[in-house]
Amino acid sequence: MNSIKVVAWYTFKELFKSRILINTFFLGCALITICYIASEFTYGTPGRIAIDFGLGTLTLSSVGISLFLGVSLISKELETKTVYMVISRPVTRTQFLIGKIIGFLTILFLNLFILSTMALLTFKSYGGVISPLIIWNIFYTFLESCLVLLIVVLFTLNTNNTVSVISALVLYIVGHSIDPRTIMYFVEGRPGFEALIKFYHFVLPGFYKFNIKDFVIYKQELEIDYLISSLSYGLIYSLFVLFLIIFVFNKKDIA
Amino acid sequence: MISFENVSKIFKPDAFGPPFEALTQTSFEIKPQKVTGFLGANGAGKSTSMKIMMDFIRPTKGKVIYHQQLGKNKNEIFENIGFLPERPFFYPNLTGEDFLFFMGSLVKVSKPDIKKSIEYWAQIFKIDYALKRKIATYSKGMLQRLGFMATLLHKPELIILDEPLSGLDPLGRKDLKEIINQVSNEGKTVFFSSHIVSDIEEVSQEVIFIKQGRVIFNDSLNELYEKNKLKTYEIHVGSESKIELSTPCQQEVFSHGHLKLFVEKEFKNKLIEELIQKNIEISSLSLKKVTLEEIFYRTEK
Repeated sequence: MNSIKVVAWYTFKELFKSRILINTFFLGCALITICYIASEFTYGTPGRIAIDFGLGTLTLSSVGISLFLGVSLISKELETKTVYMVISRPVTRTQFLIGKIIGFLTILFLNLFILSTMALLTFKSYGGVISPLIIWNIFYTFLESCLVLLIVVLFTLNTNNTVSVISALVLYIVGHSIDPRTIMYFVEGRPGFEALIKFYHFVLPGFYKFNIKDFVIYKQELEIDYLISSLSYGLIYSLFVLFLIIFVFNKKDIA
Repeated sequence: MISFENVSKIFKPDAFGPPFEALTQTSFEIKPQKVTGFLGANGAGKSTSMKIMMDFIRPTKGKVIYHQQLGKNKNEIFENIGFLPERPFFYPNLTGEDFLFFMGSLVKVSKPDIKKSIEYWAQIFKIDYALKRKIATYSKGMLQRLGFMATLLHKPELIILDEPLSGLDPLGRKDLKEIINQVSNEGKTVFFSSHIVSDIEEVSQEVIFIKQGRVIFNDSLNELYEKNKLKTYEIHVGSESKIELSTPCQQEVFSHGHLKLFVEKEFKNKLIEELIQKNIEISSLSLKKVTLEEIFYRTEK
């Protein structure tokens, strides 16, 4: 446990010192500016625009960090052989992996915390009311980013960084596009396509489950059962991918 | 400390490419409290052996035995090993000090002890002035020193260094060799690889020579010299140029007014008699000493 803590702490420190959070701060400032400009063109709904922009920026920034920084989380260690210095100590590969992922997720959490604080303050300044659904949405963004991170890390253990980013991005886009609420029209009457979608739902990640922005912005309510089932899905899927990563990494020759 | 028993390693670079055998039935032993040099040309299998030793890659056949002195389980064993990889590259945004604390914490050394250790070794490695700087600003030599220092922080029993002297300037090489000697004098076991014969000769007591994935010899340097002892004598005589001699020997003018004669043992006395008869001054006579380099090149051929 101590080894995981140490690896996580220094991974966090390394990423923190790379000044990634400064970019987050600037992104937050840009968000506030955009909301201010957009409010000039909206009639009576500046709050809705603010939360729409805010949640969108949160997703873009968190998934972007997971995808484009996460891709080098383990692969860079393998490429530059820094991993040798760590796993030549009494640290198992599993401890190393979990430590690296926790360290990265801490940065991701901080990024989300800074941006969501700025987004919520902007939203509030335009008269918005912070509902529990908004908090759920923020939490889902974190969960979605965790899953993207784990998927991209899994890919990097088997292929190069470019292919890993492209594959993870494709999975992310397709995972959002197969929402049964919107896809039914195309599927009806096409049994082959229906089987394919069923297979996809069974094996590959359904990111659409974490997208509740429409409910946050327009309906402002969602059944708790749906929220909990999406949460369980995200956690179980993330654990499954984590186990896969650990399995592959433990079997891998780190040459 | 560590024994390799018939270890083979076959790599398959990709699904369609042919496999290649990096190590073939390799057996050797690292003896305790000695400096062992692991000698071999580039691609001979040195780094592969070290990676197997450190469990970064697994052998296709054979096994690695860690002696009980190192510990009973993997955790204990790795607590007693300090490893420095080839071409070390560390986390560029951390400072040297951060990195050393990181490495120290992984081997469960308390913070005050890490601090003491850093203060002690930083002076010896002559890197104390740079420890507060980001690693991104370090030169190759500084990285090598920092990495070597990290391997010593927890006072390991066995120190494994993969090409620790490669790419260093002469002063850096001298410093690191002195440190290897220092830790060896403290009773630690050092195992280091190099393809530079003179480095091994200068620092090691034991040598393992590997060629194309096979161990050619695993002996102490003294035994190696003894086994490869030449039966040629070197005689220095005073002469401006080569002399006409009836005894078979090789001649080499090596400085103004001096000549080297190389003669086989059975002709030694005859040559001396001939030189005395011809009134040529003999200034020295010695058994020609073989160098590790000569043994290495002979074996390579």
